[in-house]
Amino acid sequence: MDHFPTNWGRPRNDAHDAYGTYPIAERPYNGPKDSFSEGVQHTQQPIVTGTSVLAIKYKDGIMMAADNLASYGSLARFKDVQRLHTVGNHTVIGAGGDMSDFQYIQNILDELIIDEFTAQDGHSLGPAEIHEYLAQVLYARRSKMDPLWNSLLVGGFKDGKKFLAYVDLLGTTYSASTLATGYGAYIAQPLLRSAVENNEDTLTEEAARKIIEDSMRVLFYRDARSINKYQIATITAAGTSISESNHLETSWDFAEGIRGYGAQTQ
Amino acid sequence: MTSIGTGYDLSASTYSPDGRIFQVEYANKAVENSGTAIGIRCKDGIVLAVEKLVHSKLLVPGVNRRIQTIDKHIGLATAGLQADGRHISNRARDEAGNYRDTYRSPPPLKTLAGRLGLYVQAYTLYSSVRPFGISTILGAVDKYGPSLYVVEPSGVFFGYNGAAVGKGRQLAKTELEKLKLSEISTREAVIEAARIIYLVHDDAKEKEFELEMSWIGDETNGVHLPVPKELFDEAESKAKAALENFE
Amino acid sequence: MPGLPQQRQFNPYSENGGTILAIAGADFSVIAGDTRQSEGYNIQTRYAPKVFRLTDRAVLAVNGFAADGNMFVKSVKQRLEWYRHAHAKDMPLRAIARLIQTMLYARRFFPYYVYNILGGIEEDGTGAVYSFDPVGSYEREACRAAGAAQSLVQPFLDNQIYFKNQLAAAGTSHPTHLPLPTVLSIVIDSFTSATERHIEVGDGLEMYVVLAKGRTLQGLEGIRGMQELTTTDDGERVFVVRRELKKD
Repeated sequence: MDHFPTNWGRPRNDAHDAYGTYPIAERPYNGPKDSFSEGVQHTQQPIVTGTSVLAIKYKDGIMMAADNLASYGSLARFKDVQRLHTVGNHTVIGAGGDMSDFQYIQNILDELIIDEFTAQDGHSLGPAEIHEYLAQVLYARRSKMDPLWNSLLVGGFKDGKKFLAYVDLLGTTYSASTLATGYGAYIAQPLLRSAVENNEDTLTEEAARKIIEDSMRVLFYRDARSINKYQIATITAAGTSISESNHLETSWDFAEGIRGYGAQTQ
Repeated sequence: MTSIGTGYDLSASTYSPDGRIFQVEYANKAVENSGTAIGIRCKDGIVLAVEKLVHSKLLVPGVNRRIQTIDKHIGLATAGLQADGRHISNRARDEAGNYRDTYRSPPPLKTLAGRLGLYVQAYTLYSSVRPFGISTILGAVDKYGPSLYVVEPSGVFFGYNGAAVGKGRQLAKTELEKLKLSEISTREAVIEAARIIYLVHDDAKEKEFELEMSWIGDETNGVHLPVPKELFDEAESKAKAALENFE
Repeated sequence: MPGLPQQRQFNPYSENGGTILAIAGADFSVIAGDTRQSEGYNIQTRYAPKVFRLTDRAVLAVNGFAADGNMFVKSVKQRLEWYRHAHAKDMPLRAIARLIQTMLYARRFFPYYVYNILGGIEEDGTGAVYSFDPVGSYEREACRAAGAAQSLVQPFLDNQIYFKNQLAAAGTSHPTHLPLPTVLSIVIDSFTSATERHIEVGDGLEMYVVLAKGRTLQGLEGIRGMQELTTTDDGERVFVVRRELKKD
């Protein structure tokens, strides 16, 4: 027997709660049922986001760059965020997309590295292992329909070998001598390819730095979610290093000549 | 061993009439039978050293380490039952990981020693378990600087400038007291640690032993690492030479 | 519609372009795919293999959503390794085909968004091609194309392999199987043509050739860019031929 008066049927007066039920007078819902409504995880979207990450292979290893902006929609919300992260002794990852998901990824990778370090078994994780691990994590999360909303670049140098690969929220992976996420895939990637393809083993650090800086500048001119403050990471036989923030030199003189932009009135 | 046959020593959950827990005292005996382990707190870091007795010539050199890594910046050396040492190091790693997960920062050694103390003490409360047959030396460089703790089988733990546990602890302590621990560098302490381990080793009674040494400090960038081979070899040969002169 | 809640749902799939094909001969099989991986108008990489050697007599080509494809190949390889550990031999081709059906159908309600073509040598020594849809429907065929340029390549293969819309000269009949050099030429022509007409096809071509046990190289010796992957010649042999395709 159902002991709850609210389940006994429609009362004569909906406004008056004759049985003083707690917390509220509620009758069973007899409308159409959505049998999938439970157990379905709903929409996710990135909230605080980072834009492009760029990376190239050069003579000594990998060079990677990302600016210091984390946007809240179109608002430039956080202007000193580091989007490059060192993992172990041979790897740097760079992230675009949701920054809280990226922080979560940083934490699980830090834990992974400590677990491997404390084992003291003479092995250390290289960039290929880190990339495979990330691909598994991101693919597993997309398969639960609860993705980690990021595009990540993984760059590294271990045992004399360069490594550069991509992985994103769908678990999609690929590797190439130049990579760019987000807007960079449209704007910077062609510049990087024409400078780097077939020159991976001869390109000097100085030349690589110039290509990266020029690409970051173009991105700052064209990507409204970017900022003129960025960091460069290098990963070589000597290990990993992430630079202090650099400021981009930009020139807006050309704006004077653009109708409707500069000082013209007509 | 007046405790034997009285019946008060059969369980960790029973006191003797004069307020002692014999099972804990027996656990200390297990520690006393073990090779010596020492820890030195220097001005710029920590040095751990262990006299690992090798019970068989057939063993591969370097196996069954008694110095373990707990976190990037934390090392641990045990004296007593080997298996208990491994169990406690696994627990310590879990605790350190748990602290990092909760507070997103490296665990201070005092906190870790406290948690390990609680864990070890829980094994002195129940008739269904046996107390840990180990004393644990914990060393780290954390936000408070270099620190050194010892957790005993009873669960008590103290901070030290120099610590020694195991068979040769008395002589080792005497030697440690002679050092100026507030002024010594880790590099110097490695030499002293090797000397002390060689000194306390009684080769009349004991068979072979392996020297294990690790350090944490400015030299290692705050990371717990084995002492590099070059320095290790230097320390070991100086220790052997000192032993000749001593005798 | 005002008043109704709007929902944007996360889309767990993507399409990564590219094309694969396989052709079975009497005692060989050719399995090929281009190496471009793309999303929309972006070329993600010019080299992402879509064709994988599973055993000495089975090669799998996977096309569609790259993340699903890579994960699927990884699981198939793991199952084949377990089979080797249990039975001390490689799984036969037709068994691999059925395994792939089972694994695809297991995800019937959250499919692997991939088209599979399995090529190799059967236990009776014949060349074979199996093709699958994303949820596991499969059949054995003489040839199959799949992927972005399927609609360009398959009619060409129908004409060149099955001789559709071709009449044999009086008093002759169409051959039932083509020789290996002819098949390789057809494969290369298929991909160069698809590269011309489809933006998602190009960059590189990988053609795997599986030869039945004890067969000669059948004119494969002189092929440019050929490399043998098997180490012995007392069983089935696997070769790969790599070629450049246009990169525009």
